[in-house]
Amino acid sequence: MSKKLYELIARVMNVPADSIDDNSGPESIESWTSFKGYVLLYELESEFKVKFTIDEAIDVKKIADIKRHLENHGVIL
Amino acid sequence: MKGEQKLSYYINKAASLNNQTFDKKTRIAFLGSFTLNGLAETIQVKCAEQKIQCVTYVGAYNQYNQEILNSGSDLYKFNPDITFLFIDVRAALKDLFHHPYSISQEERKQFVNTITEEILNLTKKFSDTTKSKLVLANFNTPTFSPYGIFENKTEFGFKRMLYEINSKLEDALLNSDSIYVFDFAHFVVKFGEKNVFDYKQFFFGDMQINLDYIPHLATNLMSYVIAYSGMTKKCIVLDLDNTLWGGIVGEDGFNGIKLGLEPPGNVFVEFQKILLSLHQRGIILAINSKNNYDDAIMVINEHPYMILREEHFASLKINWTDKVSNMKEIADEINIGMDSIAFFDDDPVNREYMQVNLPEVLTVNLPHDPSEFVNILQNMNEFSVLNITHEDQQRGKMYAEQRKRSELEKSVPNLENFLKQLDLKVSIKNANEFTIPRISQLTLKTNQFNLTTKRYQENDIRKLSEDKNYLVRCAQVQDKFGDNGITAVFIVKKENQKEWVIDTFLLSCRVMGREVERGILSHIVNEAKNNHVEKIRAQFLPTAKNKPIEDFLPNCGFKKDNDSWVYSVNSPFVVPDCLTVSAE
Repeated sequence: MSKKLYELIARVMNVPADSIDDNSGPESIESWTSFKGYVLLYELESEFKVKFTIDEAIDVKKIADIKRHLENHGVIL
Repeated sequence: MKGEQKLSYYINKAASLNNQTFDKKTRIAFLGSFTLNGLAETIQVKCAEQKIQCVTYVGAYNQYNQEILNSGSDLYKFNPDITFLFIDVRAALKDLFHHPYSISQEERKQFVNTITEEILNLTKKFSDTTKSKLVLANFNTPTFSPYGIFENKTEFGFKRMLYEINSKLEDALLNSDSIYVFDFAHFVVKFGEKNVFDYKQFFFGDMQINLDYIPHLATNLMSYVIAYSGMTKKCIVLDLDNTLWGGIVGEDGFNGIKLGLEPPGNVFVEFQKILLSLHQRGIILAINSKNNYDDAIMVINEHPYMILREEHFASLKINWTDKVSNMKEIADEINIGMDSIAFFDDDPVNREYMQVNLPEVLTVNLPHDPSEFVNILQNMNEFSVLNITHEDQQRGKMYAEQRKRSELEKSVPNLENFLKQLDLKVSIKNANEFTIPRISQLTLKTNQFNLTTKRYQENDIRKLSEDKNYLVRCAQVQDKFGDNGITAVFIVKKENQKEWVIDTFLLSCRVMGREVERGILSHIVNEAKNNHVEKIRAQFLPTAKNKPIEDFLPNCGFKKDNDSWVYSVNSPFVVPDCLTVSAE
């Protein structure tokens, strides 16, 4: 599941999947604008069949945050 | 409904488009009162799919007023061809969006007048400042009203305010040839308010169109881009078995095919009705079918539930020849380019064969289930036009007349006899309010018999026609079979007292090969003579498509002079004796 997550993030951010890790985020990935960040959340919702709350959406600062929120919604990574 | 990719696909794809170049180019600006991120990238990709190179400009968030009112703004520096303006209903109504009943009915009416006037003033400033087309989105009507079910019992209530603004905008812009109202309200109806508007996105970043629906919105907006770029498809070529009716007439017989009031026959009746409605507004229809001619034509002429009859088709290729050869013959007969044709065939093998051999033809990917055909056809934006002229509405009838001409041509021994029997009359007309839309349309659409392929929007034609240094004329061509309508245009620049320059000279493919061009040129030569002009200069600017006009100038006595051609007005010009030319 983790691999699927990384692949989706890499696709949306247009970067190689092996260039990102749990600490990657807007600061380390140049293409991660606030808009792209929202596009990512939107695609994650559709891929993992979850609905993030607005608090969760605002809270994402790095990939580890996404993992944490996905796990809170019962997604096993 | 067309499947759409995710928005991220378009955003990333747009980033890799930089190396692609296409002949057609367009500049598109987006202005909005809310976040429109992703829309420009999606349009860029959709343009590239249509072989249009698109450069975009996205105005700063909610700065549309400043961008339009300041003549030196980045918007005007960008010099767009098309500008899309989205003002959302909250921005328009301000506090009244939440509290419409905090003021009286009269005050609501007054507010509607004021806001409409403000928007119209913006559009006026815009069209006074730039040549760009403006596409203004109208207002969707939110389903929530504080009055709930009593809303419709309230005089000039919240919803009525929005209906009224939309209708006032539409009325005021009805006759504008540079400003168009995009029916955003209808877009929301089509996809549903709960889908298009997502509160979380709205709160997160004032994104008022759900990211999943940005690609759908872009598809809708592409109608304007396709029409503006002259990429509109002119002709639908149809298969018969399992496309216009269910089953195979050669096997199931006249009475066995599925076509009627009951399912699944009603599917095909409805599909034909939509095709007929497109035909009535000017789309040419033709048949390309592997079938026994007698079996198929009997259905077309005699089946009680057939909607499309022989008279609706400009060409009927019903035979056992391969479909690509048939398609080439259809294009030749109707005299249109392959890229003006859309092809409908239920058989994936035939579609693949067409796509491989004639990739310029738009082969429509029909689903296996015929009940989806209507939806596919109704959602195509490839037939979009910015204007429907009288000529468009008459086109179906004109092509039926064309078939009769072809029959006459085959029955007489040579071209000369054929042309004499046609009794051709060419009437030269000035550019005026009635002819300007058609003149512009012909400059935008004509590719083959077009000397310079200069494209002019209606405003350009209007300005040229008001300029005393230009002659802007068109020609109506009639013959014994009927009226071909306005089918030729010429624009002449009076360079000086001794020399005129032909800026534009074009003829619709509908009247090519009948000496009409010589008749029109003789008129220009005579008018030049009457004005004591000595030389007429013209240029042939070759394109991939205008080979038919390549030899026109030398054949008419023009002599090469560096990169242009010159006609000495004193040399005798032979007017074809098969036609008469008159002028207003």
